Amino acid sequence: MDATEAAAVLARARQGDSEAFRALVERHSRSVFRLAYRMTGNEQDAEDVVQESFLRAFKQLGRFESRANFGTWLYRIVANCSVDLMRSKQARHDQVRGDSLDDMLEMPAADAPGPERIAQSAEIQQRVQQALQALSPLERAAFTLRHYEGRSIDEISAALGLGTSAAKHSVFRAVKKLRVALAPLRSQES
Amino acid sequence: MKHYSEDDLTLYYYYGEGRRRADIERHLDDCAPCASLYREIAGTLAMIAAPDVPERGDQYGLEVWQRIRHKLPEQDAPWWTTLFRVDRLGAAAAAAVLLVAAFVAGRVWQRQASAPAVAPIAVDTPTTATAAPAAADVRQRILLTSVADHLDRSERVLTDIMNAPDRGNISTEQQWAEDLIDASRFYRQDAIDAGEQSVADVLDDLERSLLEIVHSPSTVRAADLEQIRRRIDAATLLFKVRVMSDELRRREQASGSAAPRTSTRKTS
Repeated sequence: MDATEAAAVLARARQGDSEAFRALVERHSRSVFRLAYRMTGNEQDAEDVVQESFLRAFKQLGRFESRANFGTWLYRIVANCSVDLMRSKQARHDQVRGDSLDDMLEMPAADAPGPERIAQSAEIQQRVQQALQALSPLERAAFTLRHYEGRSIDEISAALGLGTSAAKHSVFRAVKKLRVALAPLRSQES
Repeated sequence: MKHYSEDDLTLYYYYGEGRRRADIERHLDDCAPCASLYREIAGTLAMIAAPDVPERGDQYGLEVWQRIRHKLPEQDAPWWTTLFRVDRLGAAAAAAVLLVAAFVAGRVWQRQASAPAVAPIAVDTPTTATAAPAAADVRQRILLTSVADHLDRSERVLTDIMNAPDRGNISTEQQWAEDLIDASRFYRQDAIDAGEQSVADVLDDLERSLLEIVHSPSTVRAADLEQIRRRIDAATLLFKVRVMSDELRRREQASGSAAPRTSTRKTS
Protein backbone atom coordinates (compact mmCIF):
# COMPACT_ATOMS: atom_id res chain seq x y z
CA MET A 1 0.00 0.00 0.00
CA ASP A 2 1.69 3.25 -1.09
CA ALA A 3 1.17 6.60 0.63
CA THR A 4 -1.58 7.79 -1.73
CA GLU A 5 -3.47 4.55 -1.41
CA ALA A 6 -3.06 4.59 2.38
CA ALA A 7 -4.46 8.12 2.54
CA ALA A 8 -7.45 7.10 0.41
CA VAL A 9 -8.12 4.07 2.63
CA LEU A 10 -7.92 6.24 5.71
CA ALA A 11 -10.30 8.80 4.23
CA ARG A 12 -12.85 6.08 3.45
CA ALA A 13 -12.48 4.60 6.93
CA ARG A 14 -13.12 8.02 8.44
CA GLN A 15 -16.38 8.12 6.55
CA GLY A 16 -17.43 4.88 8.21
CA ASP A 17 -16.41 2.43 5.47
CA SER A 18 -15.79 -0.76 7.45
CA GLU A 19 -13.94 -2.47 4.59
CA ALA A 20 -11.44 0.37 4.56
CA PHE A 21 -11.06 0.04 8.31
CA ARG A 22 -10.46 -3.66 7.83
CA ALA A 23 -7.47 -2.78 5.63
CA LEU A 24 -6.10 -0.60 8.42
CA VAL A 25 -6.59 -3.39 10.97
CA GLU A 26 -4.80 -5.88 8.77
CA ARG A 27 -1.95 -3.49 8.19
CA HIS A 28 -1.34 -2.41 11.78
CA SER A 29 -2.33 -5.44 13.91
CA ARG A 30 1.12 -6.92 14.32
CA SER A 31 2.77 -3.68 15.42
CA VAL A 32 -0.15 -3.00 17.77
CA PHE A 33 0.24 -6.46 19.31
CA ARG A 34 3.99 -5.95 19.71
CA LEU A 35 3.54 -2.72 21.67
CA ALA A 36 0.63 -4.12 23.69
CA TYR A 37 2.68 -7.16 24.67
CA ARG A 38 5.60 -5.05 25.83
CA MET A 39 3.30 -2.77 27.78
CA THR A 40 1.28 -5.48 29.51
CA GLY A 41 3.83 -8.31 29.69
CA ASN A 42 1.46 -11.12 28.78
CA GLU A 43 -0.19 -12.51 25.72
CA GLN A 44 -3.81 -12.57 26.84
CA ASP A 45 -3.76 -8.98 28.04
CA ALA A 46 -2.01 -7.92 24.86
CA GLU A 47 -4.78 -9.53 22.77
CA ASP A 48 -7.39 -7.68 24.82
CA VAL A 49 -5.53 -4.43 24.26
CA VAL A 50 -5.29 -5.05 20.50
CA GLN A 51 -9.02 -5.60 20.29
CA GLU A 52 -9.96 -2.66 22.49
CA SER A 53 -7.53 -0.34 20.69
CA PHE A 54 -9.02 -0.99 17.28
CA LEU A 55 -12.57 -0.61 18.58
CA ARG A 56 -11.61 2.68 20.21
CA ALA A 57 -9.79 3.79 17.06
CA PHE A 58 -12.85 3.06 14.90
CA LYS A 59 -15.09 5.01 17.26
CA GLN A 60 -12.76 7.99 17.32
CA LEU A 61 -11.75 8.02 13.66
CA GLY A 62 -13.97 11.03 13.03
CA ARG A 63 -11.82 13.00 15.42
CA PHE A 64 -8.59 11.95 13.74
CA GLU A 65 -7.02 14.81 11.81
CA SER A 66 -5.99 13.66 8.37
CA ARG A 67 -2.75 15.66 8.50
CA ALA A 68 -1.56 13.52 11.41
CA ASN A 69 0.11 10.15 11.06
CA PHE A 70 -2.35 7.30 11.61
CA GLY A 71 0.32 5.00 13.06
CA THR A 72 1.31 7.59 15.67
CA TRP A 73 -2.31 8.27 16.53
CA LEU A 74 -3.00 4.55 16.88
CA TYR A 75 0.18 4.16 18.97
CA ARG A 76 -1.23 6.61 21.50
CA ILE A 77 -4.50 4.74 21.66
CA VAL A 78 -2.67 1.47 22.29
CA ALA A 79 -0.54 3.04 25.02
CA ASN A 80 -3.61 4.41 26.76
CA CYS A 81 -5.61 1.19 26.39
CA SER A 82 -2.69 -0.66 27.96
CA VAL A 83 -2.60 1.76 30.90
CA ASP A 84 -6.37 1.42 31.35
CA LEU A 85 -6.17 -2.36 31.32
CA MET A 86 -3.27 -2.44 33.78
CA ARG A 87 -5.12 -0.05 36.07
CA SER A 88 -8.24 -2.18 36.13
CA LYS A 89 -6.17 -5.32 36.70
CA GLN A 90 -4.23 -3.64 39.46
CA ALA A 91 -7.44 -2.49 41.14
CA ARG A 92 -8.69 -6.09 41.13
CA HIS A 93 -5.40 -7.51 42.38
CA ASP A 94 -5.05 -4.90 45.11
CA GLN A 95 -8.17 -6.28 46.71
CA VAL A 96 -6.30 -9.44 47.53
CA ARG A 97 -2.76 -8.23 48.05
CA GLY A 98 -0.97 -5.38 49.79
CA ASP A 99 1.68 -3.06 48.51
CA SER A 100 3.07 -5.16 45.75
CA LEU A 101 6.58 -3.70 45.70
CA ASP A 102 6.94 -4.11 49.44
CA ASP A 103 5.54 -7.61 49.19
CA MET A 104 8.04 -8.46 46.54
CA LEU A 105 10.94 -7.05 48.49
CA GLU A 106 9.88 -9.03 51.50
CA MET A 107 9.69 -12.27 49.58
CA PRO A 108 12.03 -14.84 51.09
CA ALA A 109 15.19 -14.82 49.03
CA ALA A 110 12.79 -16.90 47.08
CA ASP A 111 14.17 -20.28 47.00
CA ALA A 112 17.45 -19.00 48.31
CA PRO A 113 18.91 -19.06 44.85
CA GLY A 114 22.59 -19.79 44.67
CA PRO A 115 24.93 -17.92 42.36
CA GLU A 116 24.51 -20.53 39.65
CA ARG A 117 20.76 -20.16 39.60
CA ILE A 118 20.91 -16.41 39.77
CA ALA A 119 23.15 -16.46 36.77
CA GLN A 120 20.43 -18.14 34.83
CA SER A 121 18.75 -15.68 32.58
CA ALA A 122 15.29 -17.15 33.18
CA GLU A 123 15.58 -16.54 36.88
CA ILE A 124 16.65 -12.96 36.34
CA GLN A 125 13.88 -12.36 33.87
CA GLN A 126 11.34 -13.74 36.27
CA ARG A 127 12.46 -11.29 38.94
CA VAL A 128 12.49 -8.49 36.39
CA GLN A 129 8.91 -9.32 35.43
CA GLN A 130 7.87 -9.25 39.09
CA ALA A 131 9.57 -5.91 39.51
CA LEU A 132 7.84 -4.51 36.43
CA GLN A 133 4.49 -5.74 37.64
CA ALA A 134 5.01 -3.91 40.90
CA LEU A 135 5.20 -0.55 39.12
CA SER A 136 2.12 1.61 38.82
CA PRO A 137 0.45 1.36 35.39
CA LEU A 138 1.68 4.80 34.39
CA GLU A 139 5.23 4.13 35.54
CA ARG A 140 5.28 0.86 33.69
CA ALA A 141 3.91 2.45 30.53
CA ALA A 142 6.38 5.34 30.64
CA PHE A 143 9.28 2.98 31.36
CA THR A 144 8.27 0.61 28.55
CA LEU A 145 8.06 3.43 26.05
CA ARG A 146 11.46 4.79 27.15
CA HIS A 147 13.39 1.57 27.74
CA TYR A 148 11.98 -0.91 25.22
CA GLU A 149 10.55 1.38 22.58
CA GLY A 150 13.28 4.04 22.71
CA ARG A 151 10.78 6.89 22.80
CA SER A 152 11.89 10.33 23.96
CA ILE A 153 10.32 12.04 26.95
CA ASP A 154 8.40 14.36 24.60
CA GLU A 155 6.98 11.39 22.72
CA ILE A 156 6.06 9.62 25.96
CA SER A 157 4.42 12.76 27.21
CA ALA A 158 2.34 13.02 24.01
CA ALA A 159 1.45 9.32 23.97
CA LEU A 160 0.28 9.22 27.57
CA GLY A 161 -1.23 12.69 27.68
CA LEU A 162 1.11 13.85 30.43
CA GLY A 163 3.09 17.01 30.94
CA THR A 164 6.80 16.65 30.18
CA SER A 165 7.77 16.79 33.82
CA ALA A 166 5.17 14.19 34.77
CA ALA A 167 6.45 11.89 32.01
CA LYS A 168 10.04 12.29 33.23
CA HIS A 169 8.96 11.75 36.78
CA SER A 170 7.16 8.52 35.85
CA VAL A 171 10.32 7.17 34.19
CA PHE A 172 12.49 8.22 37.14
CA ARG A 173 10.17 6.62 39.68
CA ALA A 174 10.11 3.42 37.65
CA VAL A 175 13.91 3.27 37.45
CA LYS A 176 14.25 3.96 41.18
CA LYS A 177 11.79 1.21 42.07
CA LEU A 178 13.47 -1.23 39.69
CA ARG A 179 16.88 -0.48 41.19
CA VAL A 180 15.56 -1.23 44.65
CA ALA A 181 13.74 -4.36 43.56
CA LEU A 182 16.66 -5.75 41.57
CA ALA A 183 19.44 -4.76 43.98
CA PRO A 184 19.58 -8.25 45.56
CA LEU A 185 20.26 -9.75 42.16
CA ARG A 186 23.03 -7.29 41.48
CA SER A 187 24.68 -7.84 44.82
CA GLN A 188 24.63 -11.60 44.29
CA GLU A 189 26.02 -11.19 40.81
CA SER A 190 28.92 -9.04 41.94
CA MET B 1 32.78 19.26 42.26
CA LYS B 2 29.15 19.18 41.20
CA HIS B 3 27.77 15.67 41.05
CA TYR B 4 25.12 14.43 38.68
CA SER B 5 21.88 13.09 40.08
CA GLU B 6 20.58 9.59 39.51
CA ASP B 7 17.87 11.09 37.28
CA ASP B 8 20.42 12.99 35.17
CA LEU B 9 22.61 9.93 34.76
CA THR B 10 19.60 7.86 33.76
CA LEU B 11 17.97 10.21 31.29
CA TYR B 12 20.79 12.25 29.83
CA TYR B 13 23.53 9.64 29.86
CA TYR B 14 22.08 6.13 29.84
CA TYR B 15 19.20 7.02 27.54
CA GLY B 16 21.12 9.80 25.80
CA GLU B 17 18.37 12.43 25.79
CA GLY B 18 19.34 16.06 25.29
CA ARG B 19 22.83 17.21 24.49
CA ARG B 20 24.63 16.68 27.77
CA ARG B 21 25.99 13.22 27.12
CA ALA B 22 29.54 14.33 26.26
CA ASP B 23 29.72 16.60 29.34
CA ILE B 24 28.55 13.81 31.59
CA GLU B 25 31.00 11.38 30.04
CA ARG B 26 33.90 13.71 30.81
CA HIS B 27 32.62 14.09 34.35
CA LEU B 28 32.36 10.33 34.84
CA ASP B 29 36.00 9.96 33.83
CA ASP B 30 37.03 12.17 36.76
CA CYS B 31 34.39 11.49 39.40
CA ALA B 32 34.46 8.12 41.13
CA PRO B 33 31.17 8.49 43.10
CA CYS B 34 29.19 9.41 39.97
CA ALA B 35 30.90 6.66 37.96
CA SER B 36 29.99 4.15 40.66
CA LEU B 37 26.37 5.33 40.76
CA TYR B 38 26.19 5.13 36.98
CA ARG B 39 27.58 1.58 36.94
CA GLU B 40 24.84 0.59 39.35
CA ILE B 41 22.10 2.20 37.26
CA ALA B 42 23.43 0.78 34.02
CA GLY B 43 23.85 -2.65 35.61
CA THR B 44 20.22 -2.70 36.69
CA LEU B 45 18.85 -1.42 33.40
CA ALA B 46 20.99 -3.87 31.46
CA MET B 47 19.19 -6.71 33.25
CA ILE B 48 15.90 -5.52 31.83
CA ALA B 49 16.05 -6.87 28.33
CA ALA B 50 13.13 -6.43 25.97
CA PRO B 51 10.87 -9.46 26.24
CA ASP B 52 10.59 -11.76 23.28
CA VAL B 53 7.28 -10.92 21.71
CA PRO B 54 5.36 -14.03 20.61
CA GLU B 55 5.22 -14.31 16.84
CA ARG B 56 2.04 -13.44 15.01
CA GLY B 57 1.59 -14.77 11.49
CA ASP B 58 0.62 -13.03 8.27
CA GLN B 59 -3.03 -13.83 8.91
CA TYR B 60 -3.05 -12.17 12.31
CA GLY B 61 -4.59 -8.93 11.03
CA LEU B 62 -7.44 -10.90 9.50
CA GLU B 63 -7.96 -12.80 12.77
CA VAL B 64 -8.19 -9.53 14.67
CA TRP B 65 -10.64 -8.21 12.13
CA GLN B 66 -12.83 -11.30 12.48
CA ARG B 67 -12.87 -10.80 16.23
CA ILE B 68 -13.91 -7.15 16.14
CA ARG B 69 -15.99 -6.82 12.99
CA HIS B 70 -19.29 -7.49 14.76
CA LYS B 71 -18.43 -5.26 17.68
CA LEU B 72 -17.64 -2.06 15.80
CA PRO B 73 -19.22 0.85 17.67
CA GLU B 74 -20.91 3.84 16.12
CA GLN B 75 -18.32 6.38 15.06
CA ASP B 76 -18.05 9.71 16.82
CA ALA B 77 -18.93 12.67 14.63
CA PRO B 78 -15.96 14.39 12.98
CA TRP B 79 -14.45 16.96 15.32
CA TRP B 80 -15.33 19.96 13.17
CA THR B 81 -19.05 19.18 13.11
CA THR B 82 -19.20 19.51 16.88
CA LEU B 83 -18.23 23.16 16.56
CA PHE B 84 -21.53 23.87 14.87
CA ARG B 85 -23.82 21.90 17.12
CA VAL B 86 -26.23 24.14 19.02
CA ASP B 87 -25.47 22.52 22.37
CA ARG B 88 -21.79 23.33 21.91
CA LEU B 89 -22.32 26.98 21.14
CA GLY B 90 -22.71 27.78 24.84
CA ALA B 91 -19.44 26.06 25.64
CA ALA B 92 -17.70 27.89 22.81
CA ALA B 93 -19.06 31.21 24.09
CA ALA B 94 -17.87 30.36 27.61
CA ALA B 95 -14.42 29.51 26.25
CA ALA B 96 -14.30 32.84 24.44
CA VAL B 97 -15.26 34.69 27.62
CA LEU B 98 -12.54 32.82 29.53
CA LEU B 99 -10.00 33.72 26.88
CA VAL B 100 -10.88 37.40 27.09
CA ALA B 101 -10.83 37.24 30.90
CA ALA B 102 -7.39 35.61 30.87
CA PHE B 103 -6.11 38.32 28.53
CA VAL B 104 -7.51 41.12 30.68
CA ALA B 105 -6.17 39.47 33.83
CA GLY B 106 -2.74 39.26 32.22
CA ARG B 107 -2.79 42.96 31.42
CA VAL B 108 -3.85 43.81 34.98
CA TRP B 109 -1.10 41.66 36.48
CA GLN B 110 1.46 43.34 34.27
CA ARG B 111 0.37 46.75 35.56
CA GLN B 112 0.30 45.68 39.18
CA ALA B 113 3.51 43.73 39.12
CA SER B 114 5.42 46.86 40.12
CA ALA B 115 3.87 46.59 43.59
CA PRO B 116 5.86 44.37 46.02
CA ALA B 117 4.31 40.98 45.52
CA VAL B 118 7.02 38.41 45.94
CA ALA B 119 9.96 37.81 48.23
CA PRO B 120 12.53 40.60 48.19
CA ILE B 121 14.70 40.53 45.14
CA ALA B 122 17.94 42.36 44.65
CA VAL B 123 18.29 43.70 41.15
CA ASP B 124 21.71 44.68 39.91
CA THR B 125 20.54 47.71 37.98
CA PRO B 126 21.28 51.39 38.43
CA THR B 127 19.06 53.08 41.04
CA THR B 128 17.49 55.51 38.63
CA ALA B 129 13.84 56.14 37.94
CA THR B 130 14.13 54.41 34.57
CA ALA B 131 15.23 51.16 36.24
CA ALA B 132 11.84 50.67 37.91
CA PRO B 133 9.99 49.18 34.92
CA ALA B 134 12.87 46.75 34.29
CA ALA B 135 12.81 45.65 37.94
CA ALA B 136 9.05 45.19 37.75
CA ASP B 137 9.46 43.04 34.64
CA VAL B 138 12.06 40.92 36.36
CA ARG B 139 9.85 40.51 39.41
CA GLN B 140 6.94 39.55 37.25
CA ARG B 141 8.98 36.99 35.32
CA ILE B 142 10.29 35.45 38.52
CA LEU B 143 6.79 35.27 39.93
CA LEU B 144 5.43 33.68 36.76
CA THR B 145 8.26 31.15 36.67
CA SER B 146 7.95 30.37 40.38
CA VAL B 147 4.22 29.77 40.24
CA ALA B 148 4.55 27.68 37.05
CA ASP B 149 7.28 25.56 38.70
CA HIS B 150 5.13 25.18 41.76
CA LEU B 151 2.21 24.02 39.62
CA ASP B 152 4.46 21.51 37.83
CA ARG B 153 5.61 20.05 41.14
CA SER B 154 2.03 19.89 42.36
CA GLU B 155 0.97 18.17 39.14
CA ARG B 156 3.49 15.40 39.85
CA VAL B 157 2.07 14.81 43.31
CA LEU B 158 -1.50 14.78 42.02
CA THR B 159 -0.56 12.44 39.17
CA ASP B 160 1.11 10.09 41.63
CA ILE B 161 -1.95 10.09 43.85
CA MET B 162 -4.21 9.43 40.88
CA ASN B 163 -2.05 6.45 39.98
CA ALA B 164 -1.19 5.19 43.43
CA PRO B 165 -2.19 1.57 44.09
CA ASP B 166 -5.20 1.18 46.35
CA ARG B 167 -4.19 0.47 49.93
CA GLY B 168 -0.66 1.55 49.01
CA ASN B 169 1.68 3.64 51.10
CA ILE B 170 1.51 7.30 50.10
CA SER B 171 3.87 8.71 52.74
CA THR B 172 6.30 9.96 50.07
CA GLU B 173 3.55 11.82 48.25
CA GLN B 174 2.34 13.21 51.57
CA GLN B 175 5.79 14.56 52.32
CA TRP B 176 5.91 16.29 48.94
CA ALA B 177 2.40 17.65 49.41
CA GLU B 178 3.32 19.03 52.81
CA ASP B 179 6.35 20.77 51.34
CA LEU B 180 4.11 22.37 48.72
CA ILE B 181 1.33 23.65 50.96
CA ASP B 182 3.19 26.64 52.42
CA ALA B 183 4.43 27.70 49.02
CA SER B 184 0.92 27.36 47.67
CA ARG B 185 -0.47 29.72 50.33
CA PHE B 186 2.30 32.21 49.67
CA TYR B 187 1.70 32.23 45.91
CA ARG B 188 -2.07 32.40 46.35
CA GLN B 189 -1.71 35.54 48.45
CA ASP B 190 0.61 37.02 45.82
CA ALA B 191 -1.87 36.24 43.11
CA ILE B 192 -4.69 37.90 45.08
CA ASP B 193 -2.52 40.97 45.67
CA ALA B 194 -1.75 41.12 41.98
CA GLY B 195 -5.45 40.81 41.08
CA GLU B 196 -4.88 37.39 39.50
CA GLN B 197 -8.09 35.83 40.73
CA SER B 198 -8.04 32.89 38.30
CA VAL B 199 -4.54 31.91 39.47
CA ALA B 200 -5.61 32.33 43.10
CA ASP B 201 -8.66 30.11 42.52
CA VAL B 202 -6.57 27.29 41.07
CA LEU B 203 -4.08 27.58 43.95
CA ASP B 204 -6.96 27.54 46.41
CA ASP B 205 -8.37 24.32 44.93
CA LEU B 206 -4.87 22.89 44.86
CA GLU B 207 -4.27 23.73 48.51
CA ARG B 208 -7.45 21.91 49.57
CA SER B 209 -6.40 18.77 47.74
CA LEU B 210 -2.86 18.94 49.10
CA LEU B 211 -4.24 19.29 52.63
CA GLU B 212 -6.50 16.33 52.10
CA ILE B 213 -3.55 14.25 50.90
CA VAL B 214 -1.40 15.30 53.87
CA HIS B 215 -4.12 14.51 56.40
CA SER B 216 -4.91 11.06 55.04
CA PRO B 217 -3.37 8.01 56.69
CA SER B 218 -0.05 6.98 55.14
CA THR B 219 -1.36 3.54 54.28
CA VAL B 220 -4.48 4.78 52.66
CA ARG B 221 -7.63 2.68 52.35
CA ALA B 222 -9.00 2.16 48.86
CA ALA B 223 -12.16 4.08 49.75
CA ASP B 224 -10.22 7.09 51.08
CA LEU B 225 -7.98 7.15 48.06
CA GLU B 226 -11.01 6.97 45.81
CA GLN B 227 -12.54 9.91 47.64
CA ILE B 228 -9.41 12.03 47.16
CA ARG B 229 -9.31 11.11 43.50
CA ARG B 230 -12.99 11.89 43.06
CA ARG B 231 -12.47 15.37 44.50
CA ILE B 232 -9.47 15.97 42.26
CA ASP B 233 -11.57 14.81 39.31
CA ALA B 234 -14.62 16.82 40.33
CA ALA B 235 -12.56 19.99 40.47
CA THR B 236 -10.85 19.03 37.16
CA LEU B 237 -7.81 20.01 39.17
CA LEU B 238 -5.10 18.27 37.14
CA PHE B 239 -6.43 19.87 33.98
CA LYS B 240 -6.59 23.33 35.57
CA VAL B 241 -3.09 23.01 37.02
CA ARG B 242 -1.68 22.00 33.63
CA VAL B 243 -3.47 24.74 31.72
CA MET B 244 -2.51 27.40 34.23
CA SER B 245 1.12 26.28 34.23
CA ASP B 246 1.25 26.44 30.43
CA GLU B 247 -0.42 29.84 30.44
CA LEU B 248 2.04 31.26 32.96
CA ARG B 249 5.01 29.89 31.05
CA ARG B 250 3.69 31.40 27.86
CA ARG B 251 3.34 34.75 29.56
CA GLU B 252 6.75 34.42 31.16
CA GLN B 253 8.28 33.82 27.73
CA ALA B 254 6.36 36.73 26.22
CA SER B 255 7.51 38.95 29.07
CA GLY B 256 11.10 37.67 28.75
CA SER B 257 11.29 38.29 25.03
CA ALA B 258 9.83 41.79 25.38
CA ALA B 259 12.18 42.95 28.12
CA PRO B 260 16.00 43.10 27.99
CA ARG B 261 17.70 40.49 30.18
CA THR B 262 18.67 41.74 33.61
CA SER B 263 20.97 40.12 36.10
CA THR B 264 18.98 39.08 39.16
CA ARG B 265 19.71 37.55 42.50
CA LYS B 266 16.97 36.13 44.72
CA THR B 267 17.64 36.89 48.36
CA SER B 268 15.18 34.51 49.99
